[in-house]
Amino acid sequence: MIEPETILAEFHRQLSDAVTLADLDPLRQRYLGKKSVIKTALKSLKDIPKESRREVAQSLNAAQKEMDAAFRVKQAAAEKAAIEAKLASEWQDLSMPGISARRGQRHPLTLVERNCMDVLRQLGFELVDGPEVDNAFHNFDALNIPEHHPARDMQDTFWVTGGLLLRSHTTTVQARVLGQNPPLPIRVASSGRVYRNEAVDATHLAMFHQFEGIWIDKGLTFAHLKGVLRFIATALYGVRPIRFKPKFYPYTEPSVGVDIQCSRCSGTGCHACHFAGWVTILGAGMVHPKVFETFGFDPSEVSGIAFGLGTTRMAAQMVNAPALKPLYDQDLPLFSAMHKGGVS
Amino acid sequence: MNLSRAVLSRYIDLPSDFRALRLLLDDIGIEVKRSEEIDGDQQLTVELLANRGDHHCYAGIAREISGRTGSMLCGPEYTPLKIGPDAPQVLIETELCLLYTATVLRKTQPFNLSTAQTFPLNVAGIHSLLPPIDATNLSNIEIGQPTHVFDADKIIGPITVRESVEGETAWPLFSEKRIELPIGTCVIADDEKVLAIAGVIGCEDSKTTDETTHIILESACFDPVSVRKTARKLNIHTDSVTRFERGSDPSLPLVGAGRVCHLLSEGWEIVGDTACVGTWTNPKRSIHIKPAATCEFLQISMSHEEISDRLSRYGFILSGDDSSLMAIVPPHRLWDVDKPADLYEELAKSIGYNNTPASLPLIDKGADLSQAEKKRLQVEEVLLGMGFYEVITNGFYGRGQIENLGDLGPHVETLNALDRGYSLLKNNALIHAIDGCVRNLHRQHSDVKMYEWTRVFEPDSEAENGVCNERKLLWVMCSGAERPVSWAERGRNADSLFLKGFLEELSISLRLPFTLRSPASGPLISLLHPYRQADILLNGKRVGLMGEIHPQIRLDNKLKKARPCYLELDENAFHLTAAPLSYVTPPVHLPLVRTISFALPNQVEAQSVGRILGSSGAGVSVVDRFDFTQDDRLFRSITYQLSFPNTDGSKSADSVNQTLNELIAQVVSSVDGVFHR
Repeated sequence: MIEPETILAEFHRQLSDAVTLADLDPLRQRYLGKKSVIKTALKSLKDIPKESRREVAQSLNAAQKEMDAAFRVKQAAAEKAAIEAKLASEWQDLSMPGISARRGQRHPLTLVERNCMDVLRQLGFELVDGPEVDNAFHNFDALNIPEHHPARDMQDTFWVTGGLLLRSHTTTVQARVLGQNPPLPIRVASSGRVYRNEAVDATHLAMFHQFEGIWIDKGLTFAHLKGVLRFIATALYGVRPIRFKPKFYPYTEPSVGVDIQCSRCSGTGCHACHFAGWVTILGAGMVHPKVFETFGFDPSEVSGIAFGLGTTRMAAQMVNAPALKPLYDQDLPLFSAMHKGGVS
Repeated sequence: MNLSRAVLSRYIDLPSDFRALRLLLDDIGIEVKRSEEIDGDQQLTVELLANRGDHHCYAGIAREISGRTGSMLCGPEYTPLKIGPDAPQVLIETELCLLYTATVLRKTQPFNLSTAQTFPLNVAGIHSLLPPIDATNLSNIEIGQPTHVFDADKIIGPITVRESVEGETAWPLFSEKRIELPIGTCVIADDEKVLAIAGVIGCEDSKTTDETTHIILESACFDPVSVRKTARKLNIHTDSVTRFERGSDPSLPLVGAGRVCHLLSEGWEIVGDTACVGTWTNPKRSIHIKPAATCEFLQISMSHEEISDRLSRYGFILSGDDSSLMAIVPPHRLWDVDKPADLYEELAKSIGYNNTPASLPLIDKGADLSQAEKKRLQVEEVLLGMGFYEVITNGFYGRGQIENLGDLGPHVETLNALDRGYSLLKNNALIHAIDGCVRNLHRQHSDVKMYEWTRVFEPDSEAENGVCNERKLLWVMCSGAERPVSWAERGRNADSLFLKGFLEELSISLRLPFTLRSPASGPLISLLHPYRQADILLNGKRVGLMGEIHPQIRLDNKLKKARPCYLELDENAFHLTAAPLSYVTPPVHLPLVRTISFALPNQVEAQSVGRILGSSGAGVSVVDRFDFTQDDRLFRSITYQLSFPNTDGSKSADSVNQTLNELIAQVVSSVDGVFHR
C-alpha cells in the first residue's frame, strides 16, 4: 500500500539533511524526477481499489506539491549559499597598492604658464616667442633703459660673446613685436626663461621664468590697464581684495604693482606677507611713450598696456615650495609628491 | 632705507595708527618691507622706487606723502649762506660737475650734536663719528643733499674739480692703500693730491679728525652717470653714490650746506663767504598737458584747478586754463619727468591708484591656441600617458661638466658669470638629461622618465644675431622600470625600444611618419652606446636622435646598474603637415595568417628580414623573440606574423603556404647568416 505520509516524512528528513546543491540533486531525482516515488506510485494507482483510488491520488498529488515547494525553497537557499561561498573565495585584498600604469605630470611652471595663457586668450592674446640670446637694444635701449641707467642694476646681465646678452626679462619679446610694426590691435604674450647674473640662493636664481603681455591700440587708458589687471588677477587667484600701487619700470609710465590680499592671514598680516596683509603678484603699466617713439609709433595716437608675472614665484606659491631652486632640480619624487598634493 | 616715524613726523602730519602709515606709504609707492615698534617709535624698512633719488631722505618721502594727502610740509632749519668773493678758491675744469659750493667753518668750542639730532643716523644704521661728519650725513638723510668736509689745513692751493689723468692715484676713506684712478674720473683736488672722488667718497689725505680746527664744507651736484661709472669701476658704494647716481637736485647744494652749518652752529662758525661755482641754471623744463586728455586717460573728472593743485604738491609750478596747462618741472624731478605721461602718473598717485576707475577695453574676440601650442599638447598627451614627468632646466652648464665628454662642438660663452657653473650656454640637452638621471638615482629613485621642452644654443657666425642659433627641441630620458615596479610584476626596463615605442605612438598622435636610421650622426653620438643609437628621420630628413647612454659615461657618473636612454627631437619637426585622417574599409574576408621564425645573427636587423617578407604584400609584425647561441655565435630567433589579405576570398591556404616557402628561400638566400627555424 502506498503511504504518501511516509514518503513525505522521508522526503522532509532527507531534505533537512541536504545542504549543498550536490546534496539536493539526488533528492530531486528521487522525489521530483520522472521516476520519482510519487510518479511511480501514481502509475500504480490502477492496482488500488477503485473506491479509494481517488483519495490516494489526491494525497499523492498534494504530497508532490508540498515536496516541490519545499525543494525550491531549499534549492534557492543552497544556490545563494553557493554564490556567497564563491564570492567569498574571490576576496581581494584592496589594501594592496594599485598596479596600473601611471601617467606622468607637467611641471608646475608649465601649469602656471598655461593657466595664465588660458586667461589671456579670453582677452584675445596670442602667445609669441623670442630668442633668449638677444642684444642690448631689445633688452635695454628700446625699453627706455639707456646705458648707465640705474635700472640696468636691477637686472644684472649675463653678457655673452659677440656683444650679446642673455635676456634679463621677457619684455625683449615685446620689443621685437613692436619692431615688426604689426597692425593694431596688438595683443601678445610671451613666456620663458630669463637670466640674472647674481649669486644664487634660496630666493635668487640665475635663471627663472617670466610671463608678460602687451596690448597696444588706440584709446587705451589707465582705467583699461586697471581693468585688465583686475581681470587677470581675479581669473588667476579668484575673487579676493586687490590693490594697485605705484612702481617703477623704465618701459612703462605710469607703472603699477598689483597686490592681492594674503590668503594665509586674510589681510591681518603674517610672516608670509611680511605683516603687510598683501602679496605682490604682478607688475604692469602703460607702455612708455619713449618705447613707442623708438619703434615709430606716435604716442599721441596709440597707447598700450603692459604687464608681467613672475611665473617661477607663482609656481612655488602654488605648490607651497619654500624656495625656488627645487623647481629646477629635476627631482622626480618631489614632483610626484607635489602633484599628489598630499593625497597618498 | 630705514625710517623713523618720529623723525618723519617732524616733516609732515602722519596718520596716528601704525598700520595706516604703512598702508599710506605702500599707496604712494614707498613699499614697507618691515615694521617694528621700538621705544614707542615705529621704525620702518622701506623699498624705494629705483628711479626716485629724491625719495632717499625724509624730506623727499614727506613730499610724496604731501602729494597724496595734501598735508603741509615742514622742512628742517638751515642757515642761509652768502655767496661772495671772500670764499675758498674753487675751479671747475670739467662738465661732470654741475654745481660746486665750498664754505669754510672754524671750530669755536668743543661741541657734540644732541641725541635727538643724531637719532636719524642711528635709525639709518650710520655710526656717529665727529660732529662735522655726522652733520654731513644728516644733511643727506634729512633733505637728500650729500655733503662732505675736508680738513682745511690739509689743502694746498685752490680746490679744483677736474678729471683724473693717467697714473693718478687717490686714497679713499676706509681703504688700506692708495688706488689708481681710471683716466677721466671726476675728482676734487688741490695742487698736490686728490681730496675726494667726486660724489663717491672722500680721501684719507684730507679727512677731518679730532684735531681739525678748520673745515671746508663741500656741497655739490655731480653728473649722475659719471658718479655711477666711477663707483662701478672702483667698486665703492656709499650713500652719496646712491643719491648722486639717481640724479641729485641741482638747486639743493646751498640748502644742504646751510643745513650742515645750522647743525654745527653751536661749535663751528662760518668764515667768510661761500664759493658757488658751476654752469648749471634751472632750465625750467615745461610740459604741456590738456586737462581733458588727462581726465580721459585717468577716466576721472577733474578741473584744471584740481590738476594744478595736485601737481603743485609735488613741486610743479602750473599755469594755464581748462584747455591747456603748462607745468614747470621742479629741479628735483628734472632727471625723471619730461613727458605728459610722467604728470599723469603724479596725478594718479595724488588721487590714489586705488581711487581711479577700472574698466575692461572692448574685446572683439578671444584667441585660439597657436599651432605650436596645439602640437605641444598633443606630444605631451603621449608623454604623460607613458608616465613621463616634465622637468625644466636652465640654459647653461660649466666647463667642468663637459671636460671629460669629448668634443661636443663649439659653445657660446658667458663673459661675466659670477658662478663657474654658468660659463657656457648649452649646445645640447643631453648633459642636463644625464644630470637629471644621476640626481634621481642618487636619491634612490631608479625609475626615471622625464622630458623637457628646451632650446640649445649652437654657435653660427651666419646666424641672424651673428653668434648663434637657438634650436628648440624636446628631449626625453628614461631609465629603470618601464612601468612602476609593483608587487605583482617586475616588468621590463625602459630601454631604447621603449623610446621607439614612444616615437611610434607620437607618429600616430601627430600623424607624422617618424623612422629610424642606425647609427646616429652628430656631436652627441660619442655619448651614446655605439650599437644602440639611431637618427630619427621625418620624410627622410634627420630631425633628432635616440639611443642608450654610453657605458663609459654611465661609469663616469657612477651609474652602475642603470642604462638610461635618451631621445631628442627638433620641435620644428612637429609643425610639419600631418597626414589627414583616413577611413579604411574593413575587409569582407578575413586575411590568412601564418607565423614564421628565422634565426638572425647579431647585428642583422629584424627589419631587413621583415622588408623581404613584406614584399609579398602581407602585413608583417614581430610576435616573438628570444636569444640563443649556436656554434659560439649569438642568434636571435624572431617570429614574424604574416597577414595575407584575402580581399575577394579567393586566396587558398595552399597558395599562401606556397608563398611562404618562397619567402623563406628568399630570406635565407639574400640575408647573410639567417636561417629558417
